Amino acid sequence: MTNPKQTLSERAWNHAELAERVDNDEELLRELLTIFKEDFPSTMRSLESAIAVPDSKSASRLSHTLKGMLSSLGAGRAAAAASKLEGLAALGENASLKEAFAELEREGASLLPELDAYMSEVRR
Amino acid sequence: MKILVADDETLSRRLLEKALERAGYEVVSVENGKQALEQLSKLDGPRLALLDWVMPEMDGPAVCRAVRMRSEQAYVYMVLLTSKGSKEETVLGLESGADDYLTKPFNTEELRARLRVGERILLLEDRLVEAREHMRFRATHDQLTSLLNRGAVMDLLNRELQRSHREQKSAAVILADVDHFKRVNDTLGHSVGDEVLIEVAKRLAGAVRTYDFVGRYGGEEFIVVLSNCDPNYAAGRAEEIRKSVSNHAIQTARGPIALTMSFGLLLTGEWGLRPIEELLHEVDNALYEAKAAGRNCLKIAHPPTKAEPPSPAPVPQSVRLRN
Repeated sequence: MTNPKQTLSERAWNHAELAERVDNDEELLRELLTIFKEDFPSTMRSLESAIAVPDSKSASRLSHTLKGMLSSLGAGRAAAAASKLEGLAALGENASLKEAFAELEREGASLLPELDAYMSEVRR
Repeated sequence: MKILVADDETLSRRLLEKALERAGYEVVSVENGKQALEQLSKLDGPRLALLDWVMPEMDGPAVCRAVRMRSEQAYVYMVLLTSKGSKEETVLGLESGADDYLTKPFNTEELRARLRVGERILLLEDRLVEAREHMRFRATHDQLTSLLNRGAVMDLLNRELQRSHREQKSAAVILADVDHFKRVNDTLGHSVGDEVLIEVAKRLAGAVRTYDFVGRYGGEEFIVVLSNCDPNYAAGRAEEIRKSVSNHAIQTARGPIALTMSFGLLLTGEWGLRPIEELLHEVDNALYEAKAAGRNCLKIAHPPTKAEPPSPAPVPQSVRLRN
């Protein structure tokens, strides 16, 4: 469950932002979280592989996709990390990609428990 | 109203679909630029489109460019969705042919407001097209009877003459005149005369096949062209058309009026490829003969045999009193 003591800026996910975007449609909100939980890990794996090659063009495209889904979800910090990664990949800064990816992974790791907590809360 | 959503990213696409469905749109959803272009190229395809900038196969600006290259289809109002923020990219997007752009993640109210702008533009375009079509109709049709006017009928007849000659077929050209029409105008007034002309036009147009054409030649004269008409049946067909007017009285505000028509008929196959003016002169002579023979009949313009002298020069319409 989300720690109520956490301030909004500390949270990885801005639930209110997404709720407003879906006109407080809880069913749609849960559907979007389910889509995210399916798409995010697989896109991350593809991105990791592209960085390992390194294939900066694919890395840029995949980071862009992640940035889109994260910002639509209201996950501002993770979206910013994906945006940074996209910029580096577009510039062909292959040496910096692994570090930027690790930052995105960390943001993803703090985001997923918040989503899980919300999902289990609404299931009750 | 139909709207296209093109985005390869599932979550954003679903979010858009729902927001648009709530706003009352019929959403068509695709995952890449190529599919977007396919949808927008359909005749009844969406005329509002939300296109993500970065997509596989074809990006949003490329879709906009491809759509704008067509000129024959209805206008499509396209909004690019972008997380790109720089002025240069905004300019690039609009230069590709997009009408507007929205930055992701979008605000639902802003999205709806921008689409309403698009709907206003499309409505304006529809009105302009409607006005153009109305003007085109007025330029080619007779205002009273809504039949083709003389200019339009001459164009079509010219094409028909070329076509029938090329295909070694015969077309029938009929010049038709309402008998004693002047009396209707003089005794019952011009408004009844107009009623008569409208009804005659309706009956003539109703008596021919969809690929034949009927026009108002001037005054109470009409021209009928029967495409690909078997010469053996042409006179019989022309008589049926003629009788479609005379068989039943015409109902007018001043009571029923029984009217007859005189027809001149010419079969293009008998004459070969000749100037339109010459053929019209010959069919006009045949009509004149029908009038001289007591009206309410049909006369055929046959080409002179070698022994016969050519037909005399046409008598100007203004001095012919064949009413």
